[in-house]
Amino acid sequence: MAEELLKGGNAVICEDEKGRGWKRIDSPSEVRINHNEVPSNISYKEFVFSKTEPIFYFKNRKENYELAEAADGNGKIVFLGAKPCDARSVEIMSKVFNWDYKDKFFNEKAERTIVIGVACSYKDEFCFCTSVNINPASPEGSDIFLVPLDEKEYAVRIITEKGKEFISPYLKYLTEGNAARSEEALGKIKWPGKKFEPGKVREWIGNNFEHKLFDEIGSTCLGCGQCAFACPVCHCFDIVDEECSYECGRRMKNWDACQFGLFTLHSSGHNPRDNQNKRYRQRIAHKFKYYADKFGEILCTGCGRCSRGCPVQIDIAQVAAEINSTANRV
Amino acid sequence: MNELRQLAKELLGNGTVKVIIGYSEGTTPERAKPFIARTEEDAGKLIFNKYCVNNLAVYLTRKEFKRKGTIGIVAKGCDVKAIVQLIQENQVIKDDVYIIGMNCGGVVSGFGVDDTAVKCNNCKVKTPHLYHTLLGAPVETPAKDDGHLKLIQKLDAMTAEEKWSFWEAEFEKCVKCYACRQACPLCYCEKCIADKSMPRWIESSAHTRGNFAWNIIRAFHLSGRCVGCGECERACPAEIPLSLINRKMGMVAKKEFDYSAGMALDAPTLVGNYDTADREDFIK
Amino acid sequence: MNIYKPELMEVVEIIDETADTKTFKLKFKDTDAARNFDFKAGQFGEYSVFGEGESTFCIASAPTRKEYIECSFKQVGKVTTALRKVSIGDTIGFRGPYGNHFPIDDMKGKNVVFIAGGIGLAPVRCVIWNVLDLRDQFKDVTIIYGARSTADLVYKRELEEWKNRSDIKTVVTVDPGGEDAGWKGEIGFVPAIVEKAAPKAENSVAVICGPPVMIKYTMPVLNKLGFKDEDILTTLENRMKCGLGKCGRCNVGNVYVCKDGPVFTYEQIKKLPAEY
Repeated sequence: MAEELLKGGNAVICEDEKGRGWKRIDSPSEVRINHNEVPSNISYKEFVFSKTEPIFYFKNRKENYELAEAADGNGKIVFLGAKPCDARSVEIMSKVFNWDYKDKFFNEKAERTIVIGVACSYKDEFCFCTSVNINPASPEGSDIFLVPLDEKEYAVRIITEKGKEFISPYLKYLTEGNAARSEEALGKIKWPGKKFEPGKVREWIGNNFEHKLFDEIGSTCLGCGQCAFACPVCHCFDIVDEECSYECGRRMKNWDACQFGLFTLHSSGHNPRDNQNKRYRQRIAHKFKYYADKFGEILCTGCGRCSRGCPVQIDIAQVAAEINSTANRV
Repeated sequence: MNELRQLAKELLGNGTVKVIIGYSEGTTPERAKPFIARTEEDAGKLIFNKYCVNNLAVYLTRKEFKRKGTIGIVAKGCDVKAIVQLIQENQVIKDDVYIIGMNCGGVVSGFGVDDTAVKCNNCKVKTPHLYHTLLGAPVETPAKDDGHLKLIQKLDAMTAEEKWSFWEAEFEKCVKCYACRQACPLCYCEKCIADKSMPRWIESSAHTRGNFAWNIIRAFHLSGRCVGCGECERACPAEIPLSLINRKMGMVAKKEFDYSAGMALDAPTLVGNYDTADREDFIK
Repeated sequence: MNIYKPELMEVVEIIDETADTKTFKLKFKDTDAARNFDFKAGQFGEYSVFGEGESTFCIASAPTRKEYIECSFKQVGKVTTALRKVSIGDTIGFRGPYGNHFPIDDMKGKNVVFIAGGIGLAPVRCVIWNVLDLRDQFKDVTIIYGARSTADLVYKRELEEWKNRSDIKTVVTVDPGGEDAGWKGEIGFVPAIVEKAAPKAENSVAVICGPPVMIKYTMPVLNKLGFKDEDILTTLENRMKCGLGKCGRCNVGNVYVCKDGPVFTYEQIKKLPAEY
C-alpha cells in the first residue's frame, strides 16, 4: 500500500529513523510509525509552514522590475504517523494564517495535507496533551486514524470526508476489522495526567503581567529558538530579500522566534521586549492567552518538544503548572 | 552536595558573592538545570551530580551579571576552561568570579540519557585547573576510546566532495534556531555576524547555502577559542555533530601553534596575538 | 492571491526634508492598481527596495488626494538607507494599505488639535490634509509641531502654508538651543507649548504622534486640560514584517498593531501591556 501511495505523486512524510524530525520518504522501507516512543525533536510543521521559502522572485534590472510568483507543488502531503499532539497542528496554525488576509503559501500546502494519525501510547514527564484539551487516543485533527493493535496490525478509522476520499483507492489493501478490538486497544492507553487548567493559566497571565515568575525563568533562558522551531504550532516568521544570482533576487519567508532579541527591535534602537524575561513572557502569554483570546485555540498541543529539547530545561508544563498553583493560592 | 550548599550559603551570607550560578533539580532527579541562587535559602536548592551537563560560563557574559559584583559559579573542569578563555579574552574580569570548582567523574551526554558524554572520555581536567574552592573528591576514571577522534580521522580521509556531501546532509537539517550560539559560552558577541544586515554577511534563510554559511563561519570564529564543552552539539535540536568541526579546528590550533583554548590564564589568545615566528605555511 | 507581493511604484518626486529624512511621491505603475487603490487616514504600507527588503511607514499623503501616495522616512536601517539612494524614475515596491485608521467621521463637528514631534508629523500630516480638504466639516483646527532644531523640521513648505491660513492655528516650536538666527517660531518643548496653545477640551479631539518621551510628557498636559483618554488618538509603531497580522512580531498583548492598530485611543493603550 505504501508503494502505491508513493507512486501517486504524493509526498509521504514520516518521522526519520533517528527521531530528529520528519522527512519525505522515497521507499516503503522508510515508513516509520512512532506510536510508542518519544516524539521527534522537531515537528512536521515545516512541510506546511516552511522553514524557508521564496514568496516571489524579482529580476533586478534597472528600469524594469518584474515580479514573478513563487511556484508551488501539487499532490497530497501525507503525514503518516501523526500523534494526536501533532495531528492538530495544521488546523491550529490555520487560524492565524486565515483570520483576515489569507496566506496562500500556508493554505496551498495545508489544503493538500492528509493527516494519518496514530493513537499514542508514549508518555513521559514532559507530555501534557491532556492539559491542553487533547488526548492520546483522540482522532481529532486526523483524516484517517490508526489504532495499533499489536506489533504489525493497525485498525484504520476513517475520520473525515477528505480521509474517506483519499483512502478509497487503497481500500483493497485493508480487511474488515473488529471495532471492539480497536476500542479495547484505545481503552488501554494511559493518558498523561492533567498538569494545569489552561483557563486558569490564561486568566492569571492577563492579570499578572509583571509577575516575578517571568523574571525567574528569563534569568536562565538562553534566548535561542529551539522551543519555537521544534514546536508544532509556533508560526512567527521573518521576511528577507536575498540574491539567487547576479541579476535576480527573491523574497523569502523564514521561521523566526519571539525568543530572539532582534525579533522586536526597532530600527531606532528601541526594543519593546528588551530582555529575556519579557520574551519568555511573550511565549507563554501568546500560547495560553493571546491566541486563545483571539482565535479560541490554545497555541500548544502538549507534545513537550520545547521542554525536552530546551538546553536549560525550561519546562513549559511546569511553568504553566506553577502559574496554575499560584493562581489557586490567591 | 552538603558541602556545596554549605559553602554557597556562606558565600551568599557573608557577601563574598552576589549570586551563585549553579544547578538545581530539573523536571526529574535525572535532570539538572541551571539555577541562579540569590539568597541563603536558594543555596539549599543547589545540587551537583553527573546530570549537571550545562556549561554555566555562558551566563557570565550576560548583562545582568557583568560588572555587578562578584559572581559565584559552580564549574566542572571543562566549564573552567571556558571561564579561563573568557578571562583571557577580557570578557570576564578575573576578580569578578568566584569559582566553586567541582571534581568531576564525567557527566551524561544530554538531558534524560544515562550515557557519558564523549568529551569526558579523555578528560584532562577532572580536577579543575582554576578555582577558589575545590569541592568533591578527585575521581579516577579509566580513559576510554575517544569517539570524536575516530570520526574526525574518518572525515580527514575523505575527499573534498565526500566531506561536502557529509556536511551538506548534516547542515540541511539546521533550522537556524541558533541554540548552538546561545548555549556557547564563547559566543558572546553583542551583535553576532549572523544578525548583521548592513551588509548581510550570512543569509538568514535556513536553506543549504545559508546553513553552510552560518555553521562554517561559526566554526571559524571559534577556532582556537572553542574549549570543547560540547554545549552547541547538545543544544542542537537537529543533532548536527558540531563537535567534529570545532574539535578539528582545535586540533589544528594545537598542532600548528601549540595552543589549547582556556588552559592558561595569562597566555595571550591564539587569534588575538601575532608573533613574527607564527607559521604561515598553512595558508594556501 | 499572493498577499506578500507588492505593487510596483514609480518614484515621481523626491523632497529632502532634513539631512536624513526624505519624502517620496509615488505613482502606481499598473493603471488598474492605481484605479482600485483607496485608503483612509492613518493607514500604513510596506515599502520595498528589491534586494534589500521592506520597511513600514504610514501613508503621509491624504486620502482625499487620489493620484499618488507619499511617504516620508528617516534613514536608520538597511531599507531606509537603500531608499535614500533611490532617484526619480526608479521603481520601488508598495503593499497596502494596512491597519485601521483615524475616525475622521467621528471627528467631524469637533475641534481638532494635532500634536506632533519630529518625523511623527508624517502620519499626522495625512490627517491634517484630510481635515483641511474637508475644512468646513470641522470646528477649530490647531496644529502644534515641534522638532529638536529648525534643521529637523519636516514639511517646511506646508508648515508655512498652514501658518498663513486664517482658518487654522499653527504653532511650530523647536527645543531650546535648536533655534537658528532667523527663527520666528516658538522655543520650548512640545508639552509646554500644548499647555499654552491647545484649545479647550470640550468637544475636542487630539491627534498626537511623536517620540515616546514627547508623548509621555504631553499626555498629562492634555489630561490636565480636560481631554479624556478616549478623545486622544495616537498611532503606535512596532516593528513589523508582514503588516497582515501573521508574522507575530508587532503584537502587544492580544492586539496585532498592524491589524487592530496602528491607531489607538489613549484609553485603549492604557489597557495594553507595556510592550510598545
